[in-house]
Amino acid sequence: MTEYLIRRLVQSAVVMFLITVLTFGLIHSAPGGPTKVFLSPGLSQQAAKVQAEHLGLDRPIPEQYLKWVGGLLRGDLGYTFKNHLPVGDILWPTVGHTMVLMGAAWLLSLLIAIPWGVYNSTKEYGWSDQTASFISYIGFAMPTFWFGILLQELFALKLDWLPLSDMWSLDKEGQIGDLLLHLVLPVSVLTLGFLAGYVKYARTSMLEVLQQDYIRTARAKGIHEVRVVYRHGLRNALIPIITIIGLDLPILVGGATLTENVFNWPGMGRLFVEMALAREYSVLMAITLVTAFMVILGNLIADLLYALVDPRVQLGRKGGSTA
Amino acid sequence: MAEKLLEVRSLTTGFAAGQGLVKAAEGVTISIDRGQTICLVGESGSGKSVTSLSIMRLVEFAGGMISEGSIRLGGEELTTKSQKEMSRIRGNKMAMIFQEPMSALNPVFSVGEQIAESIRLHQRTNAAEARRRAVDMLRLVGIPDPHIRAKQYPHELSGGMCQRVVIAIALACSPDLLIADEPTTALDVTVQAQILDLLRSLQRDLGMSILLITHDMGVAAQMADRIAVMYAGVIVEDGPAQDLFEHPAHPYTMGLLRSVPSMDGEREESLYTIPGTVPSLHQLPQGCRFHPRCQSAMARCAVESPPLEGVGPDHKTACWLYDNSAGSKEVLSK
Repeated sequence: MTEYLIRRLVQSAVVMFLITVLTFGLIHSAPGGPTKVFLSPGLSQQAAKVQAEHLGLDRPIPEQYLKWVGGLLRGDLGYTFKNHLPVGDILWPTVGHTMVLMGAAWLLSLLIAIPWGVYNSTKEYGWSDQTASFISYIGFAMPTFWFGILLQELFALKLDWLPLSDMWSLDKEGQIGDLLLHLVLPVSVLTLGFLAGYVKYARTSMLEVLQQDYIRTARAKGIHEVRVVYRHGLRNALIPIITIIGLDLPILVGGATLTENVFNWPGMGRLFVEMALAREYSVLMAITLVTAFMVILGNLIADLLYALVDPRVQLGRKGGSTA
Repeated sequence: MAEKLLEVRSLTTGFAAGQGLVKAAEGVTISIDRGQTICLVGESGSGKSVTSLSIMRLVEFAGGMISEGSIRLGGEELTTKSQKEMSRIRGNKMAMIFQEPMSALNPVFSVGEQIAESIRLHQRTNAAEARRRAVDMLRLVGIPDPHIRAKQYPHELSGGMCQRVVIAIALACSPDLLIADEPTTALDVTVQAQILDLLRSLQRDLGMSILLITHDMGVAAQMADRIAVMYAGVIVEDGPAQDLFEHPAHPYTMGLLRSVPSMDGEREESLYTIPGTVPSLHQLPQGCRFHPRCQSAMARCAVESPPLEGVGPDHKTACWLYDNSAGSKEVLSK
């Protein structure tokens, strides 16, 4: 187990290193890369040279890369071109804000989707199952930004029940109640999106499990049907669901770009768009890295959860043992 | 006369298909005395498993429904019980074991937990007591180091071990009736013999009745006090094992017995097979369901289906060959 963890962490470090190379390489090979953009057009050749030197853009690319990675290792994500602010100061608060929004939507959708999907598997094609299908289609088909705007129009503008956008009201920053009110609309939009998939996965996974011989054995033992489904079935059905959930973890930080923009949520998705428009490459690179880190972390967590629910998975051992 | 434990009368079980009901078992009548072993024999698709699942009332979970007949266990009618009432009987008064031992156990619970669950479900015990008794059950079914094995998961055990665990689960509450649906089919031959031996010795010690479903006449010969032969959803012959082996009455039974290889005689000789295949339940032949494959079929066989009637003491068959009351015996030209 410990050995497995160490091996995975080493692998992850290698992957992260490759990602830094890729991220840096991509940004610098993109048309209009840093060297071109951040030299004010009106500058004389001489002044441009001074500015490039000042920003370190005149150094060879590998040297710039090493300097950047060296900074990363010390926890220094670099500085913005404009105003010369530390990237970390801009980025970290938005990561927190995004996690509040996405975490709420994600937890809510799991809490609804898993029991609902499991229930639907026991009443295949019943009205509840049909309703779930219908909602899933809507969730898959409707663009989130459009749905967001519809909700704003109805609940914020027409009915005036809920705030239109932002994370806090101007004078109430830091108040939980105010935050919750602001969460309702964007969380609804995101939950619908998550729910669409999860409710279907839960149902399908459970349907498959209910066909298994051990479910028949459980019934033959005289176990009541509810317990058959929720004890003997669910533990098994969760195994594939966990994989999907693990793969979705990175969305918790990076996935809400559109929704954050519609609701003016001060998260990482909105920051990404702002910074892309402003061509703040150091911020973009930092966002890419944080997202990549989450992907790796999500996979690792999914694998660990796997071992937790499925005794056949033995981390760090090649194959299962048979007696 | 021994006490009747299970009496199944005119049981018909069907599966909804299109507008109608496809009957997978029709008019099945069998009874089992206490302590007796009955083998239900037939090819795949003959309705053996459906019959056994019907007795357990598990057939409903597979989409089937019992449309007619009665099932009485120790005098108690089962067909009218709710599933909730059935869950107090299943695993308690009657239990079942299945063909695929590896997949019959839940992969995410230890085998000890799976046995203990059955005990706690039907008997008032605390968790520690149930665990202790689970270990006892493992010892009873011949698993070495039961303390260690109890903590293991199904994937850590071999197929034969798994089947022993499945048997331990089934017998945990000392049922009166054990239904075993092809319990050795998926196992190696040597393991098969061990499991059959185990079932026999457990039956002797615990005094339960066994309904053994098998397609293997060899297994039936080893185990059965009584044999019922099924074909295309109906029972075609039912009699004491020895009598049935020595004097098979129904042409289908004769065919089954002839298809068992024997060590005497020419080995180059090709093994006898019954011509044709089991008919689909959607297109059952008129009259006797076996007549298209029967060597002795008569004109009458294609028209009327024969009733199950006595051909010897306690030995019945459904075949017109033994009908002396009326009707011609003119052989159907083939």
